[in-house]
Amino acid sequence: MADFAYFLGCIMNNRYPGIEKASRVMFEKFGITLNDMEGASCCPAPGVFGSFDKTSWLSIAARNITIAEDMGMDIMTECNGCFGTLFETNHELAHDEAAKEKVNEILSEVGREYKGDIKVRHFAEVLYNDVGLDQIAAAVTSPLDGLNIAVHYGCHFLRPTADIGIDNAEKPTILDEIVEATGAKSVDYRDKMQCCGAGGGVRSRDLDVALDYTKDKLTNMEAAGADAIVNVCPFCHLQFDVGQTEIKKKTGDEFNIPVFHLAQFLGLAMGFNPEDLTVDVHQIAVDSALEQIQKLDEITGGE
Amino acid sequence: MNFICVIKKVTVDKISARYICTDHQPRYENYKFSRRPVTKGVKKMRSLKKLKNFLTGGEAEKEEDENKSESEMSEIVEEERKPVESETKQQTVPAVEEVKKEPVVEEKPAIEETPVVEEAEPVVEEETAIDEVEPVAETETAVEENVEEPAAPKEAEVIEKTKKDEPKPKGSGSMSLLNKEENLIRAEEVEPGFKQEIIDAGAETVALCYQCGTCTGSCPSGKRTPYRIRNIIRKSLMGLKTEVLNDETIWECVTCYACQERCPRGVAIVDVVKIIRNMQSKAGKMAQAHKMTGVFVLKTGHGVPINDATMTLRKRVGLNELPPTTHEYPEALEEVRTILKKTGFDSLIGYNWETGEIE
Repeated sequence: MADFAYFLGCIMNNRYPGIEKASRVMFEKFGITLNDMEGASCCPAPGVFGSFDKTSWLSIAARNITIAEDMGMDIMTECNGCFGTLFETNHELAHDEAAKEKVNEILSEVGREYKGDIKVRHFAEVLYNDVGLDQIAAAVTSPLDGLNIAVHYGCHFLRPTADIGIDNAEKPTILDEIVEATGAKSVDYRDKMQCCGAGGGVRSRDLDVALDYTKDKLTNMEAAGADAIVNVCPFCHLQFDVGQTEIKKKTGDEFNIPVFHLAQFLGLAMGFNPEDLTVDVHQIAVDSALEQIQKLDEITGGE
Repeated sequence: MNFICVIKKVTVDKISARYICTDHQPRYENYKFSRRPVTKGVKKMRSLKKLKNFLTGGEAEKEEDENKSESEMSEIVEEERKPVESETKQQTVPAVEEVKKEPVVEEKPAIEETPVVEEAEPVVEEETAIDEVEPVAETETAVEENVEEPAAPKEAEVIEKTKKDEPKPKGSGSMSLLNKEENLIRAEEVEPGFKQEIIDAGAETVALCYQCGTCTGSCPSGKRTPYRIRNIIRKSLMGLKTEVLNDETIWECVTCYACQERCPRGVAIVDVVKIIRNMQSKAGKMAQAHKMTGVFVLKTGHGVPINDATMTLRKRVGLNELPPTTHEYPEALEEVRTILKKTGFDSLIGYNWETGEIE
């Protein structure tokens, strides 16, 4: 199978390294090599760079893409924000000759040139299309039967559909299918496709608004009986994990719903050590979910 | 004074009737009540006609019918515009004419169209009434008649009934009349080139907007903040540049694309949002917290840089303490800085390279 240029970004590697660890181990098992993109930077953050100055946003993103172009590999990233920035930049520069020229003039200052000959792909889409549900299901050693999961797609994984086209953005199934390959159940909940609240620079500029979104989502997930949240974006992950403590501080509302990035979640199902997944340092304890998995293990004898 | 009261009363009645008409159920009832007698009449007449034709051979009537069918239609509409006369007309003239009316298809539009005509009518009256500041007694009675006449007993009942169900507008005396001075857009506020500026910045689809409001209706920020994207798009198209560039609510957009996904005109709404934000940023309207993300990137290459706790954690799980990014490669960080100097991002956020602070 194809190898990828592995784009890290910021929040995953600099806050939740268990996501990175799980991904590296998992893809090795699936026979896919994740190659480091040496010297890559922030994607850059779409909420700030995209909002402040489009040319800066495109240029830094294009620089990151040129690293993968030099490697001759498609990019894989597991952050919706990074995916949005890199995909959109790649898309725009491929379709807008003037923008490409402008960006290349800037990149020439550092001896780089954007060519547009690689693809930008999202980790979850690679799992679904390249690895496939069968191989994922076959790799599950600790089935998560009986665990109710609230899947959170986030925004920039699927949207804008006109450009990305991975799945139907109003009613997608791709993540639910991956989650259910572990034996867990994906529960439907109200406003499932709504944003976590962190995007567009809203978290840093107006935390109250961001947390109002998050509380909305958590309330709906709780009402649906979710045991845990599974996301595919470290920023959404942070918003749900840290956000729950912030909501508690601000309003006194406690949810205590464990949060897993899909890489961590699959890691659990594949029998990885929870400590290697760094789920023990999450703000919201994941014990309740792990205990339930433990219980299931006892019943099924761990198989 | 008396005149104004009469008008107001009538206006409110009509407005509530119109307002009610936007609800599905009462609107349907309204239709049936006001028009059913005519429909029934037409059907009766038609069977009469058939009988007549049967007896006479009906040659002459057929010809006449073809000639008349068009003018017939316009007369029905005309009828509704002159309700005073229509009282009698409806019973006499149309009855005779509609005897000859044959195609069923034609009957329908007449019924569906009439309520629209009825709805439009009071608006016209309202406007003229308002224009005439000092009306003479003659107009008063004329208007009064005009409005009250067409309300057939049954229709009036419906309005009465639905009116009770609806919450009464507070201070109903003036709630319907906007203050023109407050709501005028003056030529000097309009910058006609603003729309083109947005188009030139890469969102040519903005011109396709027909103001349906699906965007604001889909917007999760719209339901919890004063941010109204439809409104901002409208103002942008109208050229209200100053207003748009001073509207801070544009920063409440989470860029989730809910609006854009559902836009029936295919407007790249999130692009428009970012273009407006770019313009605001150029004008110095940037939040300190956002600038700090920029500072982190200029200093480390990461919007969220590594910290000691995460370095320990990385080590624990067998990863390098530093990720293989600008954190590990200082020359790569230099590239990032060079690019951001070249694009002017550093001066945009007021970054001082010597102090490493925002000025």
